[in-house]
Amino acid sequence: MRAYTPKDDVQAKSYYTDRFYVAPQVPKQDVSSDEIFAADLEVIKAKFEVLEAYIQVEQMVVYINAKDNVDVIKLVKEELDYTQLSEMSAIDWIAKSGQFEIFYQMLSMGKRKRIRIKCFIGKDEAINSVEKLFRCADWSEREMYDMFGIEVNNHPFLKRILMPYDWEGYPLLKTYPLEGDEFAAWYEVDKIFGKEARDIIGPEIRDTARVDRYDSERFGRLGHEVPKGTKITGNEPKTPLAYQEEGGVFLIDRFDEEKSVIITDRNR
Amino acid sequence: MAQHKVNYTQNAGLPVALTTIDKVVNWGRSNSIWALTYGLACCGIEMMASGASRYDFDRYGTIFRASPRQADVMIVAGTLTKKHAEFIKRLYDQMTEPRWVISMGSCANTGGMFNTYATVQGVDRIIPVDLYLPGCAPRPETLQYGVMLLQKKIRAEKAIKSQKTKRLM
Amino acid sequence: MQHQNRLRPFFENITFDRDDNEMILNFGPQHPSAHGQLRLMLHLQQEMITKSHPDIGYLHRGMEKMAENMIYNEFMPTTDRMDYIASSSNNYGFALAVEKLIGLEVPRRAKVIRMLLLEINRLMSHLFWLATTALDIGAMTVFLFAFREREYLMDLIEDYCGARLTHAAIRIGGVPLDLPDNFIADMRRFLDKLPENIKDYEDLLDTNRIWRMRMEGVGVISKEMALSWGCSGPMLRASGVAWDIRKEEPYELYSEVEFKVPVSDKGDNFARYRIYMEEMRQSAHILYQVADMYEGTIKNNQTDLMAHAPKYISAPKIDIMTQNYSLMQHFVLVTQGMRPPVGEVYIPTESPKGELGFYINSQGGPYPYRLKLRAPSFWHTGILTDLLPGHYIPDVVSIIGTTNIVFGEVDR
Repeated sequence: MRAYTPKDDVQAKSYYTDRFYVAPQVPKQDVSSDEIFAADLEVIKAKFEVLEAYIQVEQMVVYINAKDNVDVIKLVKEELDYTQLSEMSAIDWIAKSGQFEIFYQMLSMGKRKRIRIKCFIGKDEAINSVEKLFRCADWSEREMYDMFGIEVNNHPFLKRILMPYDWEGYPLLKTYPLEGDEFAAWYEVDKIFGKEARDIIGPEIRDTARVDRYDSERFGRLGHEVPKGTKITGNEPKTPLAYQEEGGVFLIDRFDEEKSVIITDRNR
Repeated sequence: MAQHKVNYTQNAGLPVALTTIDKVVNWGRSNSIWALTYGLACCGIEMMASGASRYDFDRYGTIFRASPRQADVMIVAGTLTKKHAEFIKRLYDQMTEPRWVISMGSCANTGGMFNTYATVQGVDRIIPVDLYLPGCAPRPETLQYGVMLLQKKIRAEKAIKSQKTKRLM
Repeated sequence: MQHQNRLRPFFENITFDRDDNEMILNFGPQHPSAHGQLRLMLHLQQEMITKSHPDIGYLHRGMEKMAENMIYNEFMPTTDRMDYIASSSNNYGFALAVEKLIGLEVPRRAKVIRMLLLEINRLMSHLFWLATTALDIGAMTVFLFAFREREYLMDLIEDYCGARLTHAAIRIGGVPLDLPDNFIADMRRFLDKLPENIKDYEDLLDTNRIWRMRMEGVGVISKEMALSWGCSGPMLRASGVAWDIRKEEPYELYSEVEFKVPVSDKGDNFARYRIYMEEMRQSAHILYQVADMYEGTIKNNQTDLMAHAPKYISAPKIDIMTQNYSLMQHFVLVTQGMRPPVGEVYIPTESPKGELGFYINSQGGPYPYRLKLRAPSFWHTGILTDLLPGHYIPDVVSIIGTTNIVFGEVDR
């Protein structure tokens, strides 16, 4: 019987794992250690439920409920001066807890602070769009939908943005293989030539370590090429580097070693 | 690279006998190959650099033309993604014969370092290629040498009868 | 005839409505304006654009997924291919993010060399921008001149790390190589000539009627639009927001060098053009100071190039070749990869295009659990949805030019 390989996370795994290895943590500081962040957190806590908050690598991370995301971001944008949404995307935790984690990275230019607002949603849930507050979320949410399959409510145009519009499958999920499933492997052949051409064109060669039977022989011949069918003895002369045929070409200057000058200083 | 083999050795491998008219036409064709600007990614920048002041491309008689109808050679420089594969086939079909394709860089040759779901593993899965240039990105000198090799190849072909269409299959 | 294929002609794309003069124009993924694979679908009313819809994804190579399958050091050359015009800036952003995750301290000489590389890359990127924008508008002379300067800079980088375009010259923990002997002298020689060259470009373009008419008043981005769309870098500074990460959240040694940040409040193409030209001058100014700092490190005998953290970074080559423990350690790091602590980090840097950020979520394994690349050009392409309506077709070309979009970044 072949070994059971779990299919819920098909990304590359480390070959060696140490059973007793306890990974260190990036240090987290308490929010009260920074006054600006502490004040901001109080404002958020007054109106919404904050599940957890800490400071990591000089940025505050705030966990909220997914249903509050638009309101919290509105509050943070209007009252706390976080005027730019630098980035938003999702993380796939389906294998661990069946959830996606969505984060919004925000920047306040007046206070020179960055804050990350995170929430968890279930596998088949949708999240509300923040596009009305920040136009950049328009494309970020489309990308999130394209890569993870997370639906976004109230989005003006939720279509695929990076993959072709008729693609099936959501690439950044952990269950999607890096090299693509069968649909991906034959996508361009099916689209351009049709399914009949699959046998003629052949599957993609994804083996990065593929070695042909004649490789070392042919690489050994580099610089000493001979016409096809000659018997190789090993004493072939070096093929000279010729840019044109033997007789030269009419009206075209031929490269002449004697007449050419080697430039050492390109800055002249 | 594709698994299917294109038969490049016509005439069973023997050198082609060229008449004077062939030679004149080939001389003209090889010294004025007009390239289609097909810079897709980083190799496109090296292609532009090879067309700029230091490595001038114009001395080969090459002018970069934007329209496929006016171009002879298509230099595929950069990664071909599956979303774009359809368009490269359309543009190749729009080019008028005689036409050649130079595949420049690892991504165009074989998919390169991008062994992923969205990359076509080699442009020759879609269109037939005449010349493969290795490198990531190949230096402009490599592209120039490639163009000179292509010129040699053009001069060795028969010109009068219509070019034997290269078929992928 | 080629083998029968399934592609039908695209005549259906162009629709004419006789009463309204409306037309849908497809600015296809391949067009001569040298910016890569952008597809714009424009609804035109006579010559004016009423709606625009950019379509991207033609260069999506799946870099974020690749990162989940590669060790951190292995991913470094892939970051090169994001903003392929100024490769070291991407390398640096990634290295900085991992270093902040681990908590490494990079030695001074490595920091100085990194600053040199970053500013040279900024110059390279701005020169390329100038060349392609001018080429799109029609000024081919500027294209050839700017590429000449760029070739000198690429020579410098080639002397340093061997590659012209995709450098991978910065490693996590420092830099792998020291500067060659003639690097500083060559760089100073180049920088001495640079102001004349910038003046050449300005003489050709600044007072040129055609340039001014095509650039002034075109593509005006208001402050609210810029903030709402997440613009950064010169796009934001041209709209009146004085935000430069090098000044506000300094990283590396930017707090020790003195430079000015150009800001404009007009927001049109011409303002962005002026900002780019001025930034080139400021980069040259920074480079002079960094060259002096490099000579300072030679005098103070600070020769370390990589951080000393045996758990994460390999030892210098001389130790690897002579000490057994360093060799074993290097072997493990190369085959299995470094394992950063569990946590996440988002670090923005000021790349020539804008705010380039790397979000890394690590779960203690050798591969990142999630890596998100925040590329400034993604939203600069998005802003075309709101910016283009109201302009004419030739303005589209000049606006795409000045937004400085690179498709390796947009699509990753």
